[in-house]
Amino acid sequence: MADGLLVYWRLASASVRAHMRRPVFLAVRTVAAGLIVAVEVAGVVLLLDRFGTIGGWRAPEVMLLFGLAFASQGLALTFGNRLEADNLSLLVRKGTFDQVLTRPVSPLGWLVASYVDARFLGRLLAGLGAVAWAADRAGVAWTPGRVGLAAMAVVCAASVIFAVLLLAAAFTFVTVQGTEAVNVLVYGGTYLASYPMQIYGSALRLVFVWVVPVALAIYVPALVLLGRQGPPGLPAWLAWLTVPVSAGFLALGGLAWRSGVRHYVGAGS
Amino acid sequence: MTAMIPEGFGRRGPGNPEGVPRSDGPQGGAPIIEVEGLRKGFRTRGGPVEAVAGIDFRVAAGEFVGYAGPNGAGKSTTVKMMSGILVPSSGRVLVDGLVPSRERRRLARRIGVVFGQRSQLWWDLPLRESFELVGHLYRIPAADRQRRLARLDEALGLGKLLQTPVRSLSLGQRMRAELAAAVLPAPRVLFLDEPTIGLDVEAKAAVRDFLRELNRVEGTTVILTTHDLDDITRLCSRLMIIDRGRLIYDGTVEELRSAYGTTRVLVVDLVEDEPVEVSGATVARVEGRRRWLEFARDEVSAAELVARVLAGHEVADLTLEEPDIEDIVRRIYRGERLP
Repeated sequence: MADGLLVYWRLASASVRAHMRRPVFLAVRTVAAGLIVAVEVAGVVLLLDRFGTIGGWRAPEVMLLFGLAFASQGLALTFGNRLEADNLSLLVRKGTFDQVLTRPVSPLGWLVASYVDARFLGRLLAGLGAVAWAADRAGVAWTPGRVGLAAMAVVCAASVIFAVLLLAAAFTFVTVQGTEAVNVLVYGGTYLASYPMQIYGSALRLVFVWVVPVALAIYVPALVLLGRQGPPGLPAWLAWLTVPVSAGFLALGGLAWRSGVRHYVGAGS
Repeated sequence: MTAMIPEGFGRRGPGNPEGVPRSDGPQGGAPIIEVEGLRKGFRTRGGPVEAVAGIDFRVAAGEFVGYAGPNGAGKSTTVKMMSGILVPSSGRVLVDGLVPSRERRRLARRIGVVFGQRSQLWWDLPLRESFELVGHLYRIPAADRQRRLARLDEALGLGKLLQTPVRSLSLGQRMRAELAAAVLPAPRVLFLDEPTIGLDVEAKAAVRDFLRELNRVEGTTVILTTHDLDDITRLCSRLMIIDRGRLIYDGTVEELRSAYGTTRVLVVDLVEDEPVEVSGATVARVEGRRRWLEFARDEVSAAELVARVLAGHEVADLTLEEPDIEDIVRRIYRGERLP
């Protein structure tokens, strides 16, 4: 097992070394990624500055929610950006994925390890920074339990986003085309989860809590952190369900991936 | 450049851990590849397409098989099913005793796959690192890897290239590197897809010499998909031709030549520009004083025809053209059946 993981570690470090050999390219990409993060954070800050409260939540409380969502998106994309529809579709069309399948390794492990993307760590760090900043102002006293809860929220939500990427990848294998719809879930879902659930209609809430449980993983733990009661239908005790529901969703993504690989059609000759 | 691989060259490896010399030759050897009633269909915008429409064959260990066919005939699809990339719609594939789609990772340790137009190497890293990574992926102990690499270096001349990033290699250099990486784990079966495409004459020769020696010395079974019929006539003991998803020929190159290549051509350079009429042959082409006389192999021998020509004409020079395998295959693709 440890021996097996070592191979993926070597693949990841080879990919990092490859990037290091192109310092200018790396620098430009890093700066660009940093700018995007800065713009997105500034957008939320401006919005909160203008409105003060959103759905009855004070600015630092919303900031906490945003930080959790942003961090989990960063975590998921660090490992899963290559699974994103357009990227994967390119690997399929170029025949790269054919070659991955001729290697004695897990194709998912290969893709994750070979394309670990440190750019998205910026998102993770900015998100965690926002959580730290906001918690202080929202009156959250950090205890080991609360730190654990926040970490759980980030990891669970990241798993859900990763699972969405896996589901999308399964479609890409069959259709070869990238599916734009996925970006709606990956980016739109985390964007939605950045704001209190009560501002959304019940249909939207239902989708992001129970169908693609990204809001369940972020919003409900945040309720507990902030000592708030949720809107009807979203009580704080649901936080207990975060881990099993996200794990289940991740398992679903894994099954879809496997089925996708079995139905892989490649890209012509 | 001749690439001689020393005897005993890396007989040990994941595919052959005991280092047992392989004696099972093309004839009588146990089949290493078995394909039965193999089919693969795809759904396309224009409706369902059957890329492989029921093919059967067996390949004995140590055979060197050329696999040819026009574009879209189903060559790649077959190879992808044998290497575990695609799951067959129906039928059976067995490679070295394994079902590729179900035991893909185990099979991957015993086969090598080279796609001529794509790289298996790590593009931005020095070539040396690709070999190290392949060593780790296939769990080849470092000492074994070094030993085998040293021998491959002898055969393929890689030494000077090891520090060069793969993206800076020429196509010929890269193809040698791809082959080395593919055979580093000592695969039992090597699948090659257009390994000489785009290479110059010298690089082609280097690749062919290497493959011939690999097959001879290590007994590696090679399945070579190519449009280059020169590759096939120079390397393969057996040729399979696929068209529209079905095997339309499976035999030796010689058999193909004698079965289809019934028409030979005698090229005659006359001293005088005069009309030629010889029984048993027809004039296929005229160019100045040169005449191309087509005749059927089973109707008249070349010697007899030459005698007939000489009897009626003064001749400056003669050449005999044997049927070109390329011509024959082109005719088969066009749908000509066996005479």
